[in-house]
Amino acid sequence: MNTVIREDTVTKVEKILQDFIEESGATYALITDMGGNPLFTAGEEDFDVDTLAALSAANYATTKEIANLIKEDNFSLLFHRGNNENVHFAKITQDILMIVLFKPFLSLGLLRLKINSLQQKIVSIIGN
Amino acid sequence: MAIVNLKDKTIQIKIVYYGPGRSGKTTNLEFIHNKLQQNRNQQISNLVSIDTKGDRTLFFDFFPVSLGKINGFDLKLKLYTTPGQVKYEATRRLVLKGVDGLVFVADSLTSRQDANLESFENLKSNLLYHKQSLSDVKLIFQWNKRDIDEKMIPLSPIEEMERLLNSELKVQSFPASATSGMNVLKTVNYISKETVKSVIEKTILNKHKMGN
Repeated sequence: MNTVIREDTVTKVEKILQDFIEESGATYALITDMGGNPLFTAGEEDFDVDTLAALSAANYATTKEIANLIKEDNFSLLFHRGNNENVHFAKITQDILMIVLFKPFLSLGLLRLKINSLQQKIVSIIGN
Repeated sequence: MAIVNLKDKTIQIKIVYYGPGRSGKTTNLEFIHNKLQQNRNQQISNLVSIDTKGDRTLFFDFFPVSLGKINGFDLKLKLYTTPGQVKYEATRRLVLKGVDGLVFVADSLTSRQDANLESFENLKSNLLYHKQSLSDVKLIFQWNKRDIDEKMIPLSPIEEMERLLNSELKVQSFPASATSGMNVLKTVNYISKETVKSVIEKTILNKHKMGN
């Protein structure tokens, strides 16, 4: 099944992502499908977005397989801490993943709360 | 699953190179990447390889490439390989998620015909895992390593490989040599063209739209 994303859908979701970046202080937000195709982005980047999407989808899928292997449904937190940038991964729907880059001085807990509320807004636009 | 973005006017398509271990999937991608770097003025993204210390693919090789415009849409192709070794079944399956086009890289060595068959059966069952079948994707075969001197290492005749893998499907196939580059670009051009054509037909006929 191929997916056609309407113009107004892109505008609405990217506005939500942009607002989220401004409120939370995150650096960059990317929504990708589980096949590794970038769908929506906001924020500034100096890397290849397609590669980030491909690697993130693979990373998420691998972690999920590890969870299945040890009889867990999934891990509730998928997060990498760096010296200059952190990465947080969150499942938005069964087929969609959100990746947020943020500076280490930002609170992970607060960011996760914001991502949770964001998730509902995004689902209301794109559906399940 | 191809993604058509009506705001950015982009079409994203995923092509996966599949086949048994050491059949030449990574070599195909390396050749294409090198050629694009040499021939094009535009910036080409890096080839990402997740491999073992022994240079065997652990997860996948990947790079995105822009193909220009069609009907005002920017075409972006994502090229992936899968790990061929049997033990990497879990990661191989994951790479197939959302695939639009497949190149099955078969090894021409006589001694590897069982491995070709096994890998092809494995492809079908892994597509099934993603609720897909061969009829849902574009598929072509590449009979790789045709440059090997048959006096040194016996090769299977192309007719024999066609009979083994392609007798029912009867899809396009190319004899090739990924190391010398023979028919490598022809293979990628053909699968890209056919996949794009099929995606455009499907998105026009079957408008599955994201958004309420």
